[in-house]
Amino acid sequence: MEKPVIQVKNLYKIYRIGENKVRALNGVDFTIQKGEFCCIVGTSGSGKSTLLNMMAGLEPPTKGEIIIGGEHIERKNESKLVLFRQAHVGFIFQSYNLMPNMTAVENVAMPLTFQGVPKDIRERKAIKMLKTVGLGKFLDHKPGQMSGGQQQRVGIARALVVEPEIVFADEPTGNLDSNTTLEVLNLMRKIVHEKKQTMIMVTHDNYLASFGDKVIHIRDGKIIKIDEHPGGRTENTEYENTDIYPGGTLAVPGEEIRPDENS
Amino acid sequence: MKLSDLLLMSLESLFKRKVRTILTIMGVVIGTTSIVVMISLGIGMKEALLSEYESYGGLRSIEVESSGIYDDNGKEKNPEDTLLNDARIEEFMQIDHVTSVDPVLSVQVIIKCGIYECNTELLGVSRDVLEEKADALGQGSIPAEGEGLQLIWGNYMPAYFMNSRTNQYEYWDTGKAPDIDFMNDQMFVIFDTEKYYQSQYGSQDGTPVSAPKKYIIPTAGVIAGGLEDYNEDSFYVYCDIDALKAVLEREFRGRVIPGQPTRKNGKAYKELFYTRVNVNVDEMDNVTQVQQIISDMGYRAYSNAEWIESDMQIMNIIQAVLGGIGGISLFVAAIGITNTMMMSIYERTKEIGIMKVIGCRIRDIQFLFLIEAGYIGFIGGGIGILLSYALSFLMNKVLGLGAMMFDEGAKLSVIPPWLALVAVTFAALIAMLAGFLPSIRAMKLSPLAAIRAE
Ligand SMILES: Nc1ncnc2c1ncn2[C@@H]1O[C@H](COP(=O)(O)OP(=O)(O)OP(=O)(O)O)[C@@H](O)[C@H]1O
Ligand SMILES: [Mg+2]
Repeated sequence: MEKPVIQVKNLYKIYRIGENKVRALNGVDFTIQKGEFCCIVGTSGSGKSTLLNMMAGLEPPTKGEIIIGGEHIERKNESKLVLFRQAHVGFIFQSYNLMPNMTAVENVAMPLTFQGVPKDIRERKAIKMLKTVGLGKFLDHKPGQMSGGQQQRVGIARALVVEPEIVFADEPTGNLDSNTTLEVLNLMRKIVHEKKQTMIMVTHDNYLASFGDKVIHIRDGKIIKIDEHPGGRTENTEYENTDIYPGGTLAVPGEEIRPDENS
Repeated sequence: MKLSDLLLMSLESLFKRKVRTILTIMGVVIGTTSIVVMISLGIGMKEALLSEYESYGGLRSIEVESSGIYDDNGKEKNPEDTLLNDARIEEFMQIDHVTSVDPVLSVQVIIKCGIYECNTELLGVSRDVLEEKADALGQGSIPAEGEGLQLIWGNYMPAYFMNSRTNQYEYWDTGKAPDIDFMNDQMFVIFDTEKYYQSQYGSQDGTPVSAPKKYIIPTAGVIAGGLEDYNEDSFYVYCDIDALKAVLEREFRGRVIPGQPTRKNGKAYKELFYTRVNVNVDEMDNVTQVQQIISDMGYRAYSNAEWIESDMQIMNIIQAVLGGIGGISLFVAAIGITNTMMMSIYERTKEIGIMKVIGCRIRDIQFLFLIEAGYIGFIGGGIGILLSYALSFLMNKVLGLGAMMFDEGAKLSVIPPWLALVAVTFAALIAMLAGFLPSIRAMKLSPLAAIRAE
């Protein structure tokens, strides 16, 4: 088997708030293969975002190792991390986080600007990417002039325009309605599969998670189960036919216990 | 990131916050203007002072006199070593930085014109010096070489003629100078003044003395200007040094020429020595050095350098104080810049976080803020310079403060190009310094915390 692109070993993150310790991550081990679409799922406060942020090098772990493409992320300093993200990582946010006074093209071109790509080339790439996500008619729209789904497509285009090897997405569909959620999810899966990119998506929705090749269930900072079903759930017809969006109401009994109530 | 993108992005973010940017820039404008105007006043004062010295007779020349032919013990020195002649001039020419040496032969003469007479110094100068005065002439011209003795009159000279009947200097009593037309009136010059006075008032031992010879000497030219227009030639009567020598040697054949050194036994030297020589130096800064060398050679040397140096020192202090006062307002402006940049970082916390997450280098984030601050300084400095030139113009021309405080044509405020250049650069640097702390802050923002911020 190929060497995993991401290895997480014995990872801990403990927040200290006054006297209290919050174990956001409490010993996590897993690997992700190249080209895999991996979902991290769990209830609110279970530590999903913390895990994702640490993999993207946005937060240092308390203990443990994160090895991406053979490089130890936890050993890098701020400026090395930025360079690492610039070269290998795309990031999609739940709340889009677009620059409000830039047009769609300008927003998408921004990571290329940071890489030092000349203006004409980066604009061409940005326009092409926006067309790929179906926003060919919204090139010069500013975020305020677009719907949530359209804004998230801009966010996806911005993350993918640099053709990163790894794409991190934290609840990318969290602010979208059910139909848009599926559109956006399928769009991401399609592009990522075509380019053989690795994608890690955080969601609290078991149903959405089931689209992943690998689903990591997490609770109270610990992995409780890893499901592997390569190929994931394929285009879902059942979903479109249901009146009730399963993700919205899905709640596994027992998962409502808050980690901070435990400690 | 490419520099052009950095520059553009910083500029855009300034434009996004127009009002605040304009207010901050205004602070820098006021700061720069006050520094530049203050320093320009200092420069104006310096220049006025220098031109005043210039009118006193050169900033680059040293007047050298013989220190006499007797040493401290009353022993006679070899006249060759102490008196000023052509061999000395050659020696002075050998000194570094000396560009030319002009001999001066000065004799006391009495010049009569009708009922008026004038006891004055007649300065024999070299042809070079004489020809330099051509442009200053109001009437006549410089006599050609070998034309014999002819006079060039300073424009104040009519005031120094005394009415020989009343023994009064009319100009000083009535404010009206005798009406002497140097060019056309006949001027009689008496070289042997002692004999003249003896013939007029009787000799000491009572024996009558016959009047000395009077020479009719034509006037070649008169320096331009009236009795109020001061210049460095106003008080003098000039002539060609060689022509003067010839006349003197004829007049005092075998006798001591007044003003010339004598041997111990009271006899005259064969040679005619110069009264003094003017040593001209290439640059003002070298005057002191050359003057020292000449003093060390055993001559008396005078220059304006010492006066100028101490005056310039005072001027520099005044200028520094003025600049410092102006500097305070630039300092206040710098605090304004820091404040503005801090505000902008608080507002843009989230933006900075996003930029970091999507791959903006930390160094580039710092550059963005430094450049933004630099723009404020540069634009403010540039406008400040324009405003300074306008104010300077207003003070000099419209209000005429310079002419009021100094001379005609003097400027109160002078802004040389280097000052403009230095001021803009300085403003930009100060602004970037002011932006440094905020830029470090932006650099250190944790991307995650920044994104969470609202
Ligand atoms: N900066 C922090 N300081 C202190 N505690 C934190 C911090 N960030 C997260 N936590 C705690 O760590 C735990 C995990 O948080 P995390 O954001 O990873 O949850 P999550 O699974 O992403 O939840 P959600 O689905 O609501 O986004 C929570 O209990 C949270 O309170
Ligand atoms: Mg989260």
